[in-house]
Amino acid sequence: MTRVASPPVSAESLLLPMAPQHRLSGLQRQILSLYRSFLRVARTKPPDVRSRIEKYVGAQFRHDAAAVDKKDFQQIEYLVRRATKQLESLRNGSITGFQVVDGK
Amino acid sequence: MQSLRSAVLRQIRVPVGPSCRFLSAAAQLDKAEVIDRILSVVKSFPKADPSKVTPSSHFQSDLGLDSLDNVEIVMAIEEEFALEIPDAEADKLDSCSAAIDYIAAHPMAK
Repeated sequence: MTRVASPPVSAESLLLPMAPQHRLSGLQRQILSLYRSFLRVARTKPPDVRSRIEKYVGAQFRHDAAAVDKKDFQQIEYLVRRATKQLESLRNGSITGFQVVDGK
Repeated sequence: MQSLRSAVLRQIRVPVGPSCRFLSAAAQLDKAEVIDRILSVVKSFPKADPSKVTPSSHFQSDLGLDSLDNVEIVMAIEEEFALEIPDAEADKLDSCSAAIDYIAAHPMAK
C-alpha cells in the first residue's frame, strides 16, 4: 500500500498566479512564516502556556505591524531577527513563555 | 509451505462492510463533510462574523481579517484535519473555497 504524503498540486494553481493585490513580498512571506512557526511551537506547550504565547505573539506582531513604517526595512529586519531568536529559545524549551516587563 | 499458507488463508475472513475503510484508495473525505467542517472552523474564529461565512468567503476581503488572522485560520484548519500544510501551500489558502478544495483533495486529511 503506497501512501502519497505530499499535498496535491493542481495544474491550475501552477498556471494561475495569485491576484496581484494579494501577492506578498518576500519579506511579508518571511514574516507570515515566522508567525506560523511561533504558533507551531506554541502547540507543543501545555494549554495555558500555549494560549499565553499565542496572545502575546499575536499582539506583538500586530503592534509592530502598526507601529513600524512599512518602508523602514532596517527596523523590520531587526524585528525579524529578534523574533527569530525568541523563536529559537522557545523551541529549545529553555523559555516556556513570555513575561512582559515594562522597563522604561 | 504453500499448502500451509493456503490452509491458513482459507480460514481467514476479512469482513467487508460499512466499517471497512480502504485507506489506500478512496481516502479522501467527502466534499460535503469538508465544506461543513471548514465553515465551522471559520465561523468559530473569534474575529469572523459567523453570519458572513459562506463557502465562497474570502478571508481578508469578505471577512475583514488580516494576513495574521489568515495564518491562524489555516493553522486551525490543520488541527481540525490533523495535517500540516507547508508554507508555500498555506500562503495560497486565502478563502473558504481554496481551503475546501485543498482539503478535499488531500489524501491525509482526517
